[in-house]
Amino acid sequence: MAKEEQKIVRQLGESRIIVADSAAAMDESNRRDILVVGSHCGINVGELALHNGIRGLIGNDAGLGKNEAGIAGLKLLEKHGIPAAAVACMSARIGSGMSTYEQGRISVANKVAEKLGVSVGMSAKEAADKMLESLSRG
Amino acid sequence: MVKEVHKVARQSGERRIIIANSATSLNESNRNDIAVFGSHCGENVAGYVLKSGARGMIGNDAGIGLEGAGIAALKILEEHGIPAAAVAAMSAEIGVGRSTYEEGVISAVNKVAERLGVSLGMSAKEAADRMFEGMEAPGAR
Repeated sequence: MAKEEQKIVRQLGESRIIVADSAAAMDESNRRDILVVGSHCGINVGELALHNGIRGLIGNDAGLGKNEAGIAGLKLLEKHGIPAAAVACMSARIGSGMSTYEQGRISVANKVAEKLGVSVGMSAKEAADKMLESLSRG
Repeated sequence: MVKEVHKVARQSGERRIIIANSATSLNESNRNDIAVFGSHCGENVAGYVLKSGARGMIGNDAGIGLEGAGIAALKILEEHGIPAAAVAAMSAEIGVGRSTYEEGVISAVNKVAERLGVSLGMSAKEAADRMFEGMEAPGAR
């Protein structure tokens, strides 16, 4: 498959906020990073995040959908202590990481993200900042 | 990333209907395939389909969303003569290709798919069959 582009929008120490259209862009070089993606937050996206060892995830809620499959990845990451949140599909264009980051409004956050101060209605940008800043606090 | 193994749902000669969880797993081995996947049908997904050379696609409408972004790929593929359709987010689990194929109900169709008989409310399975059969029809490229 094609290598996806990653855009670094903020860096703090060795950790970064990375924006990508697809969650498939992540790899093991993202082990200290927060990823903001245009993808849905389905189970396969959660698995990809776990596999690559990223430190936080924000994606699109994809309208939640059947059995809330659009946010199934959030619960999976919660079990592994990884903060994750989704933006409302009416707030950002699914498939566009930059839209998630710049226009997205949080519709769902997992408990780990909530503990870091991420809340429903917050901008994705602010949510990503909270996740990143928590990393530098160790 | 982990390489996804596609499931073949139907085959006739070199042509197949394949099922994938993610459209990012499509590659040149899908050149003769109708791809049914769990991904949304956003703009970037059209890119994966075009790059692979797949002959048709069915994905999830992801609630359609801001500016219809969840089905943006349909229009792009239409311009390339490729049949494409989406299933309603409430009918199938996004991210799960098999759910798209087995439970999905069509909510959006491009004109190329329409010409092959794909219509709103149809099962994804039937829609994939129409695309598959359309690919075999005389005059298909």
